[in-house]
Amino acid sequence: MNFEESLRISVRAIRGHRLRSFLTVLGVAIGVAAVITFVTLGASLQADVLGEVAGDRTPSMAVSAGPADAAPGPSGPRQAVFTERDVEEIQALDGVAAVVPSGDVPVAGLAFEGQTLGYNQLTASTPAFFDYRTAAEFSAGGPYAQGAAELVLNEPAADLFEVNVSVGDRVAVVRPDGTRVNATVVGLLAASDSPFGGFAIPRVYVPTDPFYETRLESPNSGTQQRVYPTLTVVAEDFQRVGAVREGVLAYLDGESDARQLKPESYEFRAQTAEDVVDQIRSLLDTFTAFVTGIAVISLVVGSIGIANVMLVSVTERTREIGIMKAVGAQNRDVLQLFLVEATLLGVVGALAGIVLGILGAVAATRYAALPLTFPYEWAGIAVLVGLLVGVVAGLYPAWNAARTDPIDALRYE
Amino acid sequence: MSDATDAVVLEGVSKTYQLGDQPVAALGGVSMRLPRGSYTAVMGPSGSGKSTLMNLVGCLDTPTSGRVVVDGQDVAALSDRERTRLRGREIGFVFQTFNLMPRLTAAENVALPMVFQGVSAAERELRARQLLDRVGLAERANHRPRELSGGQRQRVAIARALANDPALLLADEPTGNLDSATGRAIMSQFADLHRAGNTVLVVTHERPIAEHADRIVHLLDGELERVETIDEPRRPHAGDTQ
Ligand SMILES: Nc1ncnc2c1ncn2[C@@H]1O[C@H](COP(=O)(O)OP(=O)(O)OP(=O)(O)O)[C@@H](O)[C@H]1O
Ligand SMILES: [Mg+2]
Repeated sequence: MNFEESLRISVRAIRGHRLRSFLTVLGVAIGVAAVITFVTLGASLQADVLGEVAGDRTPSMAVSAGPADAAPGPSGPRQAVFTERDVEEIQALDGVAAVVPSGDVPVAGLAFEGQTLGYNQLTASTPAFFDYRTAAEFSAGGPYAQGAAELVLNEPAADLFEVNVSVGDRVAVVRPDGTRVNATVVGLLAASDSPFGGFAIPRVYVPTDPFYETRLESPNSGTQQRVYPTLTVVAEDFQRVGAVREGVLAYLDGESDARQLKPESYEFRAQTAEDVVDQIRSLLDTFTAFVTGIAVISLVVGSIGIANVMLVSVTERTREIGIMKAVGAQNRDVLQLFLVEATLLGVVGALAGIVLGILGAVAATRYAALPLTFPYEWAGIAVLVGLLVGVVAGLYPAWNAARTDPIDALRYE
Repeated sequence: MSDATDAVVLEGVSKTYQLGDQPVAALGGVSMRLPRGSYTAVMGPSGSGKSTLMNLVGCLDTPTSGRVVVDGQDVAALSDRERTRLRGREIGFVFQTFNLMPRLTAAENVALPMVFQGVSAAERELRARQLLDRVGLAERANHRPRELSGGQRQRVAIARALANDPALLLADEPTGNLDSATGRAIMSQFADLHRAGNTVLVVTHERPIAEHADRIVHLLDGELERVETIDEPRRPHAGDTQ
């Protein structure tokens, strides 16, 4: 029997049980749709986050010191060990375009227009900080000047007060000891599209001079100097990032103040944007794999549905199988007939699943305000999976049908 | 021993069914031969093993002991595949219970045996219509079995048995559900096939039907009771009735 013939007979058999076939197809469709939706969501999330991190990249690296076994990253434990002398020395290294130190200034609160809010730390750095920071778009004003009592707020921070803060306003910084320092707001940063859906943390940025007061004696020069937990080292171009990284680490491990100020067990690290991207990617991959795994379970359930329906169908059609064999159907004809039927259910389910999945992905990415990144190869994979699900789920029932003894089958009531 | 001129040879054929641990002997040592082009009727009371015999000759079943030789080939020695092939090409079977495919139309039922022999769709269609016309059902070609009367279903079953132009036609109670006029029409079809050189084996419990054959084999309790030769068989022509 040729393929066309079995397709025709199968279509007829499927149409003979519309509701049952529909539900079976639905099971597979939901499975495939779930996989496509989640995979698309994962890919879109990844594209969005990575686009943000790697978007307008600078050839920079974040230099810090932390425990050797701690996971690297912005949130790991770190100590303020880099002195102003270190900053100058690194600045003088070959290929270094800029060194931007930064650190936290502990405060008790912020006061504006008679309202005082508890607030625990400011981010202190140099004006160059804004040049090398991704997503640092000023919506009003501009960077602060070093040595001036000025500050920059991001929009979430400006929104904290009852009366919105705008450029030119004066905000009082309340130190932990209760003393107040007045500062002029010189810039507002546009709220960055946070990759994780809109919770942008309020931040207040100030110049290290006069706000940053963490000081230690520089072991090399013997003077009191500001010490910073993080340095952003910017290379002259992307080609030199690797060399600069080597140079910075060599300096730090050699004659630096930082080497003497850090605990013995701590290590220096210089994390490039590339590293961060890799970390985020692997994190998102894990997340995507996890939700996709759940979706795959629903696909398995769908295939069990096919197997079940096919088994019922074979039992129900025992007599028909007997008739076909009695009039000359070979085992493989019967096998083919049922396999085609199961595969057809699987493929139709997969195709419907692709449509549903794309709709789901579009809806989900729109809801999460992500750019839609559709992994096309997954549409192909979904059809293949549907085909496979149909074949695998139909194999046993079809084999059962094929080896039916015609005499027994004809006697079957 | 088997002869090249015999369409079917049975040698001491027994069939025992196992019902739990209770053996049921449906046939006990039947020997007979159907020469090519012969016309044989099988008679016997209900449960005497007529359908069992037909299933064995029709290559649907294999004997518990003894040999069934169809078209010179020992059926039990054939592989499942070869047996199916023999059944599909050489044998037309009209079942006692019709065994039509409920979801297929009359024409599609008639065409079904041709599907498995690789006959093209156009050819199948044409031949199915011709066969239905021969059994007087041309205008019912697109009806499903449940829309047909018992006699009409039987005629569809007969048309289907003729689909692959079988050398051996087996019919189990082919007129059981028919009025005498239609029954006669069917029997004249068989007579025509016989005249055309086909071997015909018909099971019946009606004496007038059996008298169409050259000889009548009487079965009783699974054994061959006697073989009766008909001196002047009824041989109606297809145009005789209706
Ligand atoms: N599959 C089976 N399992 C057990 N016993 C069977 C089976 N098939 C037939 N028999 C028994 O074998 C005997 C012969 O059955 P068979 O169907 O050949 O009779 P028959 O002569 O065709 O009867 P009828 O005229 O009623 O059709 C019966 O006693 C029946 O019960
Ligand atoms: Mg019978």
